[in-house]
Amino acid sequence: MTKLAQSLRKQWIVSCVVLSIPSATLSLAQEREMIIPVPESAYSQAVKVRGGSLLFISGIGPADEAGRLVAPGDIAGQIRQTWDNLRYVLEKAGGTVDDVVTMTVYTTERRWGRVFTEMRKDVFKKGYPSSAFVEARKLRTPGALIEIQAIAVIKD
Amino acid sequence: MKVLAVVFCFVAMVLANDLRAQEIKRDFIDPVPQSIYPTAVKVKAGTMIFLAGHTASLPQIDADHGNFEIQVRRTFDAIKTTLSKAGATLDDIVSLSVFMTDLRYVPEFDKLTSQIFKKARPAVTFIEVSHLARPQLMIEIQSVAVIP
Repeated sequence: MTKLAQSLRKQWIVSCVVLSIPSATLSLAQEREMIIPVPESAYSQAVKVRGGSLLFISGIGPADEAGRLVAPGDIAGQIRQTWDNLRYVLEKAGGTVDDVVTMTVYTTERRWGRVFTEMRKDVFKKGYPSSAFVEARKLRTPGALIEIQAIAVIKD
Repeated sequence: MKVLAVVFCFVAMVLANDLRAQEIKRDFIDPVPQSIYPTAVKVKAGTMIFLAGHTASLPQIDADHGNFEIQVRRTFDAIKTTLSKAGATLDDIVSLSVFMTDLRYVPEFDKLTSQIFKKARPAVTFIEVSHLARPQLMIEIQSVAVIP
């Protein structure tokens, strides 16, 4: 094989690989449009999305695998555990945290809102979901200060 | 070699598409042991029905005062009526947000829904709130259903 033919072959293989990358990358997330983002509070007023599969996630709290409360009385620790749990469920469903389109955040005290918002800024890297923040009298896991109910749209 | 490379690319693309097409329509994610509900429900976007918060219907409410079981049954009756007008049934429900004035009723709620639902296994969130829309109400359910 001539050198020219070899280099052409290499180019072909490289171009094939390069051509496959965009479709692989695109399949990672359903395309979405954040309507009126509010970056200082880490949410969007609305998220517009089309197609894909919907993932309805039960309220996720700061519990471990056995359902025991993690970080009693420690709001930052509880928020961290809740996001870890949420990520785990999303990954099991073939998605990522960036697939979340909307969330309802229940807390036992409104004053946890500020720390929650600050920590949410580190969670979402590709735009913020829509969100509501609600004070509840009691959450499902005894001692839980926070619980997140989310809906994600995952690319098929 | 050129042909081989083209064939390889084509096969790779077909395989990738095939993997996507094989995905099942309703997928229950990580069911919690001893829980009748899944942690999450994955469903292909079809026709979505977003229901308002439903409660035990108004005329019976005084008679139902303090009776959790009757309130739950009447709430699901109301949901069923709404769903039927949208061409859906209770089995099409994929998500429930359950607002209750006392979370100690959760085991009773579980017992009742295991009778009420035939096939549905929705993702469920329980929240205890101080008050619902009327003082007699003990439970309000907001739900989402998906039909083809």
